[in-house]
Amino acid sequence: VSLLLQVVISGLAAGAVYGLVAIGYVLVYRLTGIVYFALGDLVGLGVFAALLVAAGTGPVTETNVGGLRFLAALVVGTLVCIVASAAAYWLAVHPHVARGSAIGWIAATIAIAYAVRSSIDVFFTRPSYVFPDPIPFRDVGNGGFVGVGGASIQVRAFFVIAVGVALAALATVVLRRSKLGRGLRAIESDVEGAALAGVPVTRMVTLAFALAGGLAALAAVVAAPSAPFGVESGSLLGVKALLAAVVVGFASPVAGFAAGLALGVVESAIANFHVAGLQLGPGYHEILPIALVLAIVAARALAARRPGLAEVS
Amino acid sequence: MTAVALVTQTRTALADAVREVRLAWNRRATAAAAAVALAAALPALPLGIGFDRIAGDLYLAAAAVGLGLVVGLGGMPSLGQGAFVALGAFVTAHLAGSGWPTELAVTAGAIAALLAGGVLGLLVGLLRPALVAVVTWLVAWLVALALLAFPSLSGGAQGLVLEDAMSSTVHYELALVLVALAILLYVAAARAPAGLALAAAREQRDAAETLGVDVSGLRAGVFAAGAGIGGLAGSLAVYLAGVADSGAYGPLLSAELLIAVVLAGAVSPFGGLVGIAVLSTLERIAEVGDLGSLQTSRVETLLVAVIVVSALGATDRGLLPSLADWRRRRAHPPAREVAAPRAAARRIESPLLLEAGGLTKSFGPVTALENVDLTLTGGTVHALIGPNGSGKTTALRVLTGTLEPDAGMIIAGRRDISRSDVRTRAELGIVGTPQATAVFSELTALENAVVGARLRLRDARGARAVFATPKARGDLRVAYAAALAALETVGLREVPDVLAGELPGAAQRRLMIAVALATEPRVLLLDEPAAGGSRTEVDLLADLVLELRASGLAILLVDHNLRLVRKVADTVTVLAAGRAIATGTLDEVTENEAVLTAYVGARRI
Repeated sequence: VSLLLQVVISGLAAGAVYGLVAIGYVLVYRLTGIVYFALGDLVGLGVFAALLVAAGTGPVTETNVGGLRFLAALVVGTLVCIVASAAAYWLAVHPHVARGSAIGWIAATIAIAYAVRSSIDVFFTRPSYVFPDPIPFRDVGNGGFVGVGGASIQVRAFFVIAVGVALAALATVVLRRSKLGRGLRAIESDVEGAALAGVPVTRMVTLAFALAGGLAALAAVVAAPSAPFGVESGSLLGVKALLAAVVVGFASPVAGFAAGLALGVVESAIANFHVAGLQLGPGYHEILPIALVLAIVAARALAARRPGLAEVS
Repeated sequence: MTAVALVTQTRTALADAVREVRLAWNRRATAAAAAVALAAALPALPLGIGFDRIAGDLYLAAAAVGLGLVVGLGGMPSLGQGAFVALGAFVTAHLAGSGWPTELAVTAGAIAALLAGGVLGLLVGLLRPALVAVVTWLVAWLVALALLAFPSLSGGAQGLVLEDAMSSTVHYELALVLVALAILLYVAAARAPAGLALAAAREQRDAAETLGVDVSGLRAGVFAAGAGIGGLAGSLAVYLAGVADSGAYGPLLSAELLIAVVLAGAVSPFGGLVGIAVLSTLERIAEVGDLGSLQTSRVETLLVAVIVVSALGATDRGLLPSLADWRRRRAHPPAREVAAPRAAARRIESPLLLEAGGLTKSFGPVTALENVDLTLTGGTVHALIGPNGSGKTTALRVLTGTLEPDAGMIIAGRRDISRSDVRTRAELGIVGTPQATAVFSELTALENAVVGARLRLRDARGARAVFATPKARGDLRVAYAAALAALETVGLREVPDVLAGELPGAAQRRLMIAVALATEPRVLLLDEPAAGGSRTEVDLLADLVLELRASGLAILLVDHNLRLVRKVADTVTVLAAGRAIATGTLDEVTENEAVLTAYVGARRI
């Protein structure tokens, strides 16, 4: 039981971040029909922008930075991601969506991911960095860990889960209640109708891209001190969030967030458990979920394969 | 068969092939052959340059041409080509490590990639482009992460080292041949009926399937071929590199390949080669500059990425096709209305009786079709009319097989085809034209018709047509003749080489009928062929329909245009809210009370 608790909590902490990025994928997909392949790397950009403010490009040991400086880093990282995400939409996604060219936006979003990654690469040359922690979790409990029912759990995990759920709830409320949310829902159900009804479609969609970027960056910067962060980490985060979004068929932001949490727990379980004497170990925790999602997509595609209905949604 | 006969036959076939090559030879072919010869002769010249890097780039270009086949011809934007390159490389490296000779290890690597591509192709062939990209991207990550997680697969941090018996010059020549063959394969595949059918499906998948094209199957085949080329390139390249290093085969490789292909234009067979050439040239230019303390290798990729993003924003067709469009527009102004001398339609030898009974179909709470009976007899025209949303198109789609009815039975001749798929029905001779103008605009008029004629090919399917075996060539001639005859029937014999998208609207509508006729149907289902046509056009169309009726075809005509219906229909069924409210001659149904009620407020017949 103690191990189970530990697995679930640390899984939820990782899953909260996946979930928030997945909200971005779902939001963008439902509005424009595109899969935002650059999202993970844009989140990475946000994290590294924050790191630049918090600690510069040098090697960082796990010393604390001042709360104010971290706050500044958080703001800068999120802003950079918001601006970059909106700009990416304008420069590289919008022209192709307007032309109705799938191959265009796929190549463009991948090229942006590539560009973002190489721009991070120019300044941050090490394989991975340790992000300074603004809140002294190390001083809580036993060196940052507390014992719950015999399990020792990182205190930081609770904090990340709390922030993740709060952000997801905030996003849901915004999408349900605000004028922005109503406009987005109108675009989602009928783009042309929304445009005719006076909804400023392009501006709204730009805002949605900004929101997707900002939300994800905020979560990632908050979670970054938990583990070393490298240039690849952003891309990998993007892939995992994409898994969550695909599993729920891009159905709704809430479903995407929930799937992200579930993915986190599944990963953590695969990494820690051994079933019937078979120790899977950490090598599998990234591979098995991908294989599983591929199998799910295949099963859905085959199930939908009726006369003339081969185009699977 | 005796050995002598075999030799004679082979000699005739070869002579035939040579004659065809000579006929088809043109300035472009000369230029291409000269370019390959020149490139092959480069190492013999005293240039004093190393061929290591060029050979590596050429292998990459071969993988990119393979991807171009998948993206451009197959219409599947794959973000996973790097995974097949990796598969080829690691299979080869493992086998070479256990003492396999180079040729065998390379062959095994390529076959492994081909098979894996075939399996994945069966899945992605079903999906629409956005999901194809997602699935292949996930596969690229799966392979990369697996290599990272299991040192037993990847040889860990130092990779799998293997010995290379070949010099870099040999690699260069090999890579050159591989690229040339891959491009040739692309050209041949694009021209074969299967390639035309794929191009058609890329534009309008539903319309192609209505003509009996097995889109998913063809796409799976193309995906496998592209993966196989990628795997072969990877297998050979790993000898050049001397080591299979898992770091070199990440998702970034897949991304780079797709970017190269799209940048230069996936629909061009040269797209992969030109794309990789552009990227590596940009990289080399960036390497020259001195940027002080920053690491140039890192700045260079950034520079390349920025240029690529902006170039992609400017055109999504890619550099080569944009150039070709521009040149063609200057050479050929768009076609004007075409005069329409027509030829007699092909006689139907054995007419088919199509009987449908009790057809019912609902979409959620909406009943689109309720207990409708229809009979189509050879040599007659049955018109289906009714207000918008009365279920006409639903009825037509249930008959072609693109929609499955909730209840009801469809009998063709003596066969129950209620549950048969579109392709089976098309082969039986039940073919529909899609609603609205759904010609394949990027194919010529003749090629459009060939997509239809492909249904009756026996020997020139798939790979056999691509490699132009003697039997397939004979079959191809028949198909092209059938396609031309179909064009002649609708009066488009004069414009076989005009792009369908550049034909005037009326000609496009006639072309759609020609494409359906090229499948040699016995039952023809026409969905609003007169939509938007002028009076004269409608009269011309009526003549065509009457001609087809006289040839023995059974015709279902769905149309609003009562002028057309009056001229051609033997029987009329009126649909309202999914129910057949009257059947009879046009005069009979116009006097029917229920029909008048259904049309009240809309218009009087």
